[in-house]
Amino acid sequence: MNVLKKIYYIILFPLYYLFKLVKANLFLAWDILTPKMMINPGFTRIRLEISSDFGLLLLSNPVSMTPGTLSQDIDRERKFLEVHLLYMDQREVTEHEVRDIMTKIKRILE
Amino acid sequence: MTALTSILLFLGSVFILIASIGLLRFRESFSRMHATTKATSFGLLLILAGVVFYFLSFIVAIKALLVIVFVYLTAPLAAHSISKTVRNTGKNKR
Amino acid sequence: MESTFENTMIILSFSALLMALLITLYRLMRGPSSSDRIIALDLVVSVVMGFILLYSVLVSKEIYVDIAIVISLISFMGTISISIYLRHKK
Repeated sequence: MNVLKKIYYIILFPLYYLFKLVKANLFLAWDILTPKMMINPGFTRIRLEISSDFGLLLLSNPVSMTPGTLSQDIDRERKFLEVHLLYMDQREVTEHEVRDIMTKIKRILE
Repeated sequence: MTALTSILLFLGSVFILIASIGLLRFRESFSRMHATTKATSFGLLLILAGVVFYFLSFIVAIKALLVIVFVYLTAPLAAHSISKTVRNTGKNKR
Repeated sequence: MESTFENTMIILSFSALLMALLITLYRLMRGPSSSDRIIALDLVVSVVMGFILLYSVLVSKEIYVDIAIVISLISFMGTISISIYLRHKK
């Protein structure tokens, strides 16, 4: 039962990734092509809950590909992930999305 | 050469064009990296999907999958390395 | 490649890639700092990869897809090595 659930989550993760990818590119294309750009860049830090190498690879790759975020740095104790945001006014929503990805990865790895 | 193939190829080229326009219009290096990392990878994905639908053979599909995996593994790493360089040299203003 | 719609579409996609190459070369010459030049160089390699894939469809030879694999590996190595060189140069 547990194995079946894990396989289900492993199949679900690439679909979620593809959905995020299409959404990110449509947002970015809209932002670039409209003459008045609504961007407001800045940095933020997010507390990490996973610390293995593979888990961090799985986390930083979707964070770079989701709308408006680009993963920048991880400090030496692996406590915080530094993220560059394109829309600083929607900071709460974006941090919530990154935490959502983190829970999905924790479900796969554990 | 079906209509689907040509539409996929055209959309991929348009996304690469959008990435270059973003490289021209954004004001600082980090925002430019947003444009090149996301839109370029997505454009290459669409072009490779068009190539697979054009040839419709197994070996081309495997090769296209390899290219997609390489691009999607290496594009965020390259962006990460460039941004570390930008922050170390401290020349991110214009 | 007889029907007109597909011919038009492939010519349009070639011209879109050509415009992308011109804009990127402008940023590569003009770029204020050297990091902007690295980003532009990374985009140039992707545009060339798109050209080769479109050309493989145009002449309908599937051997050209192999070049895309090699380019995708070499461009990653080049970008990483240039950025690490600039980081340690000071």
